[in-house]
Amino acid sequence: MMEGLKIKRVSKTLNGIRIVDDVTATFLPGRITALIGPNGAGKTTLFHLITGELKADSGEIVYKGDDISKLKPYIIARRGVGRLFQDVRVFDNLTVFDNVASACFDQEVESPWYPFVKCSHLKRKIREIKDVIYSYLNFVGLSDMDNIYAGALSYGQQKLLAIARLLAGGYSLLLLDEPTAGLNPVMIKKVLEILERIVEEDKGKTIILVEHNMSAVTEVADWVYFMNEGKIAFFGRTDHVLGDKEVREIYLGM
Amino acid sequence: MNYILHLLIMIGIYLVLSYGLNLVVGFGGLLSLCYAVFYGIGAYASTLLMVKVGISFIPAVLLGIVIAAIFAFLIGVPALRFRGDSFVLVTLGIQMIVFTILYNWVDLTRGPYGIPGIPRPVVAGYEITSLYEYLILVGVILLFSLSVLFILYNAPFGLALKALRDDEMAAEGLGKSPVHMFLYAFVISAVFASTAGSLYAAYVTYIDPTSFTLDESIFLLAILLVGGAGNRIGPFVGTVFMILLPEALRFLGLPDTVAPNVRQMIYGLTLIVLMFLRPQGLAGEYRVK
Repeated sequence: MMEGLKIKRVSKTLNGIRIVDDVTATFLPGRITALIGPNGAGKTTLFHLITGELKADSGEIVYKGDDISKLKPYIIARRGVGRLFQDVRVFDNLTVFDNVASACFDQEVESPWYPFVKCSHLKRKIREIKDVIYSYLNFVGLSDMDNIYAGALSYGQQKLLAIARLLAGGYSLLLLDEPTAGLNPVMIKKVLEILERIVEEDKGKTIILVEHNMSAVTEVADWVYFMNEGKIAFFGRTDHVLGDKEVREIYLGM
Repeated sequence: MNYILHLLIMIGIYLVLSYGLNLVVGFGGLLSLCYAVFYGIGAYASTLLMVKVGISFIPAVLLGIVIAAIFAFLIGVPALRFRGDSFVLVTLGIQMIVFTILYNWVDLTRGPYGIPGIPRPVVAGYEITSLYEYLILVGVILLFSLSVLFILYNAPFGLALKALRDDEMAAEGLGKSPVHMFLYAFVISAVFASTAGSLYAAYVTYIDPTSFTLDESIFLLAILLVGGAGNRIGPFVGTVFMILLPEALRFLGLPDTVAPNVRQMIYGLTLIVLMFLRPQGLAGEYRVK
């Protein structure tokens, strides 16, 4: 049974402010669900709670049947939860190639003894992932910059790199915090296309999209959660939510 | 000639140290001020094992490594809960504690009296006595150390450390455990410090705690800051520069009465100017923060 991500009555208070307030939501695999709402609504904090950067004060976060709300961030990542950060967070002092490569090895390969006890495996693995890395770099149009330090790229390029790194990680749940912000229209189109392709090709994958770009949301998301002041204010089909009077007043300014 | 051989031996020992520390400072991005602790533990452990227990050089070095690794683990577990300035201060505290123990536990270490008459190393039944032989011993151990470390630098292990250094939150989001990776780096670097310590003790045949002070830890860190951390050439440039510069200043022909002080000042001034001109180090690509 495909269970996806279930958030059950999760709350979080930071500095006396209830940033996430009794949120219950389900994100099903095989589809892109958007999470929209005004700045400060708690969307990014909800992402922090899912990835374990913050711990919920109460409630459960269940992914593939397990409560992950008490786990450490790196363990949650190993369970298949990957994230695109709002502030990109590429590794500035690594090359473009190494940035993507850093997502390709599991903990066994990254152990210090692996190159000594499994030398030939490692060589083969590095050969294999090279093609994978270049296919993702090609996809985002950065393959001819493979040797440049990521810190030297423009913001838009860093975002593309972060997307390539995330895709290379092979995660089953993708949390995307404003993936199209700062990209040009051609790249936006490409990124949205790959998101649709991901869920089409693998029905086990779940994508949650935080976005302020409503045309992107209508294009790829079938379902939308609207968040306001820490609460889920509205959930439904994209056209229903975006057509709602309250949503239009609070968020879209119409 | 003996003078040059001596310098080469010292450079060899310091290369083992700086390339080992590079794993923590350059790859991990953690400014450790207690590296001399593991240098000292290696020197004392192998010396005491040779002098008091009577085992020979190679087993003493290997046991010294085990002891230093255990200490690194015990120190690393609490210290690596901290980052940035806090980590620097915690390692400073550790450095002070261990020095005080070495200095005051007279029954074990003879404290300030030091341990004289450390036996010369015997390798495969052959006693090493001349400077040439020492240089070969240091060279062999250096080559072995570098081949192990360079494999680690290039392996996914090194890449994961650099990723954690650049952005811990993003790297953890890719499934890398900061605690485990930093602890591995900390313990592995201590292994090389300990090896260098044993070599040093067997070379000078006398040790006392003043060789393993905070000054020494700062000097080792300065090697990496000057040469450049996080790559394969920086520690070499830094070690050669930091060891040869004070020696070169001896030949300035300064009047004897002020020479040592002026040399120290030129040395300090050079470091300051260098940080202005090359904040990432002479051969560095990454600027340690």
